[in-house]
Amino acid sequence: MTRAFLGALGVALAALALYPFFGTGYGVRATLQIFMWIALAGSWNLISGLTGYVSFGHVAFFGAGAYAGAILVAKVGWSWPAASLVGGVAACVLALVIGYPCLRLKGPYFAIAMLGLNEVLRALVSYFEGLTGGGSGLSLPTLDATIPIYYVMGVLAAAVTLLTYLIITSRFGLRLMTIREDEVAAEALGIDTARHKLYAFLLSAAGPGIAGALTARDQGYIEPISVFPLAMTITMIVMVLFGGKGTVWGPVLGAVVLFVSQEFVWARFPYLHQLLFGAIIVAVVLLMPRGVLGILQMKYRLPRTI
Amino acid sequence: MNVVITPVMIGQVIISGILVGTLYSMVALGLALIFGVMRVINVAHGPLLMLGAYATYFLYSAFGLNPYLTVPITMLLLFVVGVVLQRTLVFRVVGAPELASLLLTFGISIALVNLAQLAFTSDLRAVEYLTGSYIVGPFAFSKSRLIAFVFAAAVSGLAFLFLQRTKLGKAIRATSQSREVAMVCGIDVDRIHLFTFGLATALAAAGGALIAVIVAIQPEMGGVWTFKSFLVIVLGGAGNYPGALLGGMLLGLVEQLASLFLTTQLSEVVAYLLLVLVLLVRPTGLFGGRQT
Amino acid sequence: MRLRGLVALVWAAAVFGASLPVDAQAPGPIRIGASLSLTGTYAKLGNYQHEGYKLCAKQVNDKGGLLGRKVEFVVYDDQSTPATGVRLYEKLITEDKVDAVVGPYSSPITEAVANVTEKYKKVMVTPLAATTSIFKRPPDKKRHYIFMVISPAEVYLEGLIDMAAKRGLKTVAIVNEDTLFSKAAASGAADLAKKKGMQVVFQEGYPKGNQDFSALLTKIRAANPDVLAASTYFDDAVAITRQMKELNLNPKMYGITVGGDLPEFYDLLKQNAEYIYGATQWEATLPYPGNKEFAEAYTKEFGREPVYHSAAGYAGCVIYLDAVKRAGTLDADRVREVLLRLETKTAFGDFNVDQDGFQVAHKMVMTQWQGGKKVIVWPDDLAQAKPRFPMPAWNQR
Repeated sequence: MTRAFLGALGVALAALALYPFFGTGYGVRATLQIFMWIALAGSWNLISGLTGYVSFGHVAFFGAGAYAGAILVAKVGWSWPAASLVGGVAACVLALVIGYPCLRLKGPYFAIAMLGLNEVLRALVSYFEGLTGGGSGLSLPTLDATIPIYYVMGVLAAAVTLLTYLIITSRFGLRLMTIREDEVAAEALGIDTARHKLYAFLLSAAGPGIAGALTARDQGYIEPISVFPLAMTITMIVMVLFGGKGTVWGPVLGAVVLFVSQEFVWARFPYLHQLLFGAIIVAVVLLMPRGVLGILQMKYRLPRTI
Repeated sequence: MNVVITPVMIGQVIISGILVGTLYSMVALGLALIFGVMRVINVAHGPLLMLGAYATYFLYSAFGLNPYLTVPITMLLLFVVGVVLQRTLVFRVVGAPELASLLLTFGISIALVNLAQLAFTSDLRAVEYLTGSYIVGPFAFSKSRLIAFVFAAAVSGLAFLFLQRTKLGKAIRATSQSREVAMVCGIDVDRIHLFTFGLATALAAAGGALIAVIVAIQPEMGGVWTFKSFLVIVLGGAGNYPGALLGGMLLGLVEQLASLFLTTQLSEVVAYLLLVLVLLVRPTGLFGGRQT
Repeated sequence: MRLRGLVALVWAAAVFGASLPVDAQAPGPIRIGASLSLTGTYAKLGNYQHEGYKLCAKQVNDKGGLLGRKVEFVVYDDQSTPATGVRLYEKLITEDKVDAVVGPYSSPITEAVANVTEKYKKVMVTPLAATTSIFKRPPDKKRHYIFMVISPAEVYLEGLIDMAAKRGLKTVAIVNEDTLFSKAAASGAADLAKKKGMQVVFQEGYPKGNQDFSALLTKIRAANPDVLAASTYFDDAVAITRQMKELNLNPKMYGITVGGDLPEFYDLLKQNAEYIYGATQWEATLPYPGNKEFAEAYTKEFGREPVYHSAAGYAGCVIYLDAVKRAGTLDADRVREVLLRLETKTAFGDFNVDQDGFQVAHKMVMTQWQGGKKVIVWPDDLAQAKPRFPMPAWNQR
C-alpha cells in the first residue's frame, strides 16, 4: 500500500511537473491556484488543525507577504524569487509580533483577535499610501512569469505538505496535538506550551507569506481589499475541514475538491454561488466535522499520519 | 489641509458617538446573550439585522406603516426566524469547539446575504421618513438618529430589566453562568437556548429597523454590524450584559473621536487596536466581570 | 487510497477535459469574450455594461453580422474581484479561444486583466476603465493593445470646478472613497481647482463601504468650503448626502462623481437630491448621432432606461466592431492600427485616442437635479438649462 501510494504520488508529481508543456494558459493558472490553496490550507492546518487554536485571520499573512513582495519588486526593483522569500520572512516576523501576545488568548478570543488583526493590517496598508499605493493598489512591472511561478508555487505546496508530515510524525507534532486535546494537561506534562504554539504559528505563517508574494507577482496588481478578504480565511478553513483537519493529506484533498468544484460547477451559477458555498459550509460542519480523511481513518483504521 | 479642531466639533462628534453607540449597545447585547448562554459566536448576527431592516422597509413601503411602529412587528418576525434557526441548525453546535459555531454561523450568514440578494436585489433601499436634524445652538441632532437613540435605549433597558427581574430572565442568566447547575435546578436548558436566540435576533432586528430609517440599506449591510458587535462584547466583557451596553457607547465614542482627530480610515485601526489591547490586558472586558 | 485515486482522476478529467479545444468550424460566429462584475460590489454597474454589450451584438446581428459572421458574446462573472478576472480572461483566450475580447467593469479589474490580454496580444477596448495610469505608463512598461473609451477619472469634476470658479467661489473641500478610480478623480479635482485659483481647504479619503460620515462632515463644516466635491461610487454618495442634511452642512455647490446621475439617486433621496451636481459621461438627451435611437432600443429591450455605463459598454462594442470592419480582419495588429487612427462619433459621443490608447476626444457633462428632472448644466454648448445656484441651506427649503 505504501509503495503503491508512493508510486501514484510520483506519477502525479511528474505529470504536474510536465503539465506546463502541454497545458493551456488557463490550465496552468488554475493549477497554480490549486497549489496556492494547498499551501494556504496546509499552513492553516499547521496551527489550527494541530493545536486547535483557530486562526480566523490567517489571510493577514497572505496579504502581508503580498505587500512585502510587491513593494520589493515595484519600488526597490528586486527579482521576484528573492522578494517572495522576503514575503515569507515578513509574514513570520508578523506572526512573531502578534503570536507572542495573542497565543495566550484562549478559544474564541484568539479567533476574534486574529480577525481584528487582519482588519488592522488592511486599514494600515490603506493608510501608508506612500509605500503601498493605499487604496489605489500597487502595480508591478509587466512580466510574464506564470510558468516559473507555477513551479515555485508547486514546490511551496509540496513543502508545506511535507512539513506537515514531518511534524505529525515527530515528537513536536505529538506535543502540539496534546495541547489541542488538553492544554492544562500538556503543561502538567512539562510541555512548554507557549513556545510550542509560537513555533507552530511561525511555521504556519511562512507559507501564506510566500504564496502572497508569488500571487502578487503573478497577478501584477494588488489592492488592500483583494489581498485581505475574510472570505479567503474561511475558504482555507473549509478546505481543511472538508479534507480532515490535523491530517497530512486533508488540506490537499480539500483544496483540490473545493477549488475544482468552485471553478467548474459553481461558476455556472453566479447568482447562487454564495448560497451554495454557505450550504456546503453548513453541511461540512454538521455532517462531517472530522472531514473525509477523518471519517476514513475511523472506518478503515488508517494510520494517523495519512 | 488640516482643520483646527474646536470644542464645538468635539461636542458634535460626542453627540454622534452617543447616538450611534446606543444602537451598537442594543445590537451587541443580542450577540452577548448568545455568547453568554451558549458560547456560540454568531457571525450571522449582522445578516439577521439586515433581514430586520428589510422587514421594516417592506412594511413601510408596501403597507405604509410608520417605520417606528414597525419596530415591534419586525422584532417579533425575526424572533421567530431566530427560533427556527436555533431549532434547526445552531443547537447542533452548542457545546462544540468554537470553530464549529464560527463556521456554521458564517455559512448561515453568506446564505442569508445571497438569499436577500436574490429576493430583494442588490439595489439600495431607503426609508425616507425623517431626514434632517434639530439644530440646538451650534449642534445638530439628527432626527432619525435621535429617535433611534430613544428606541434603542428603551429596548435595551427593557431587555435588561427582563434579564434582571423576570423568572425567564433569571433562568437565562443562570444558564449563562453554569449550564449544568441550571439543569440541576430544573431549568429546561434547550428551551432557554431557543428563547435566547430568538431574543438576540429580535434585538438585532430592532437595530435593523432603526438603521433602515438612518441609512439606505442593501443585502451586504450586515457584515460591519457583526464586526462592531464583536468589538463591543470584547470591550464590555463577553457574557457581561451591562458591559455590552457600556461597551457599545464606548465604541461609538472612540470611533467618532478617532475619525475626528485622525481620519475615518484610521478610526477602524484604533477600534481594532483597542480590541486587541483589551483582549491582552483584560480579557474579561473593561468593565470587570467574571472570569470566563 | 481508492478514494484518492478517484479524486485525482476526476480532477485530471476536469482540467484536461476543459482544455480540449472548442470545435472551430468556419465560418461560425465571431466570439467575443469578457468577464463582467455580475455579482459583488460592482454588480449594479457591471450589469448595465453587460446590457450594453448585449444590445450591440443584437443590433449587429440584425444587420447581418460582421465580416459575414454572427457576433456572439461569451461572458463570465468575475464577482467584482481582480484575481477572478485575471483567471477568466486567461480562460477566455486559451480555453474558449474567443476571437476577441472587450473590457471588464471598473479600473482595478481592468488594471489586472490588461496584463493577460497584453500577454496574448489581444486588442481590448475597455469601455469602463477611467484611470489614467492604466494607459499612461513609463515607456518600458507600455501597453500596446488597450484602448480607452470614456474620459479619464481626473476630469470627472472639471465641470463642477469650472462652474464654481466662474461664479467666483474660492474654497473647495474634497472627499473620496479610497480606491483607484475615486482617488484619481479627487486628485484631478484638486489640481483643477488650484489651477483655477481656488483653495483646497480640506481633503480626506474614507474606506470603501464606509457608511458613517458624521465626523468627516463635521470637519468639513468647520472648514466651511464654498464647494464640496465628493468622489464616490453610489452607496456612499447617498449616505453622504443624507448625513450632510443631518449635520446641516451647506456648501454653495455640491457635486459627486459616480451615482449622482443615476435615476435611483433621486428615487432614494427624493427632493433632497435637488441642486446636487452629478458628473456623467453620457446622457440620453445629448445630441450625439444615433443616441435617441440607442436609448429607445435599450429601454425596449431591457425594460429600464440606460445609464452611462450601458452607453459606454454599447459604444465600446460598437467601436471595436467598427474597427474590425474597417480593418476587414480580426488580426490584432491591424485592428490596433485602425483604432489608433480612428476618429468617430457614436451614440456615446466622440472617440479618438492618442498613441497610448488614451482617450482624448470624449467629453464629460455635468447634470443637476432640478424639480425632479436631471438637467445638463455644463458645458455651456451642451447645457439645457442654467444651474440653480447657490444650493439653499437644508433647513430653508
